[in-house]
Amino acid sequence: MAKNIKKLLRAKGFKVMMIGLWRDNPVFCMLLGICSGLAVTNKVENAIAMGAGVTFVLIFTALTISALRNFIPARVRIITYMIAIASFVIIVDRFLQAFYPVIREAIGPYVGLIITNCIIMGRAEAFASKNKITHSMMDGLGVGLGYSYTLVIIAIVRESLGFGTILGFRVMPDGWTNWVMMAMAPGAFFVLSIYLWITRTIAGVESKE
Amino acid sequence: MKVLKIIIFVVLLGSFFTTLLVAINHYTTPIIQKNEELKKKRSVLDVFDISYTKENLEDIFSDNIEVVQKENKEFYLSLSREVAFGIKGSGVWGPIKGIIAFNPDFESIKGITIIHQEETPGLGGRISEEEYLAKFQGKKVFPALKIVPHGKAKAENEVDAITGATMTSKAFEELINNQVGEYLALIKEN
Repeated sequence: MAKNIKKLLRAKGFKVMMIGLWRDNPVFCMLLGICSGLAVTNKVENAIAMGAGVTFVLIFTALTISALRNFIPARVRIITYMIAIASFVIIVDRFLQAFYPVIREAIGPYVGLIITNCIIMGRAEAFASKNKITHSMMDGLGVGLGYSYTLVIIAIVRESLGFGTILGFRVMPDGWTNWVMMAMAPGAFFVLSIYLWITRTIAGVESKE
Repeated sequence: MKVLKIIIFVVLLGSFFTTLLVAINHYTTPIIQKNEELKKKRSVLDVFDISYTKENLEDIFSDNIEVVQKENKEFYLSLSREVAFGIKGSGVWGPIKGIIAFNPDFESIKGITIIHQEETPGLGGRISEEEYLAKFQGKKVFPALKIVPHGKAKAENEVDAITGATMTSKAFEELINNQVGEYLALIKEN
């Protein structure tokens, strides 16, 4: 058992996933996916739904592109990515509408905008089009989870300060005054900047100047 | 030859994903329609203050509510002759949709529920909170409903505005006044 776990930890797929989670984290290292990160992080619930949606699309786009990588004519590769991404996003949207209508209502238009999330296109071009299927899917999973936990951290700060709750449960004392600004877009900019500052310092990312 | 290969590839890819989407669409459409139907029924029961559970929602609705169609407008009548109907209009950032119910006098408001709104969270967004909507109960919409600055509401057609959300309050006032007259006139003929 322990041997198997060790083997798994040493496997390339696992390493690929861990890179997405920390060293190449899409939000704070590559600064991709910021727009949706700002838009849906006012409640933890919305952040989880968005993270799950993006992760799903990432994994399946990686699967598709990686499986087809030897057949995709170079001149139409971007269109191929777009068709795959758009289809999976529509699937996520229909799924939410059918089974989680309340969440769909809350994050509404942003689900469709997963299509324009640069993380997905970026990973398809940079990784899935050059690597084998399992590694590409692990990369999608790692980057997706890296994106999701970043969103959730930002959402925890914003929801607790802006609404006094986390996932709908009251966490602030009764006399707490909600910081309305945290619930609105400007609050997201402040939290994201502070978050970037802290994580980039810890991760030792430096701008090459 | 190269061009032909590209065309074949794109056509095959397109057909594959189109088929996939058609299948998903076919599978989810009835579920989505059902969700919308249930949501409307829940809002109607809420506005009449009739309690229900997730399981008996449909039964309670069909036992207590009579749906009347008149000139393409849908009315919901309760057993005690209260009437409700949908209202919609534009708010500050997007549409506001809701259901408004009137007491049997067809003049004073029994309740309002909001089905959809995109107002500023924490400010105009409070329009969908029960505590705020409760302020409309018993208020008269004739000659016209007036939303006045917070704490100033005295007359029976005046309601307090939401502090810090003048635009939303104004939009909501207009939305109600624009539609209730026509609807109430129609149902009075009955």
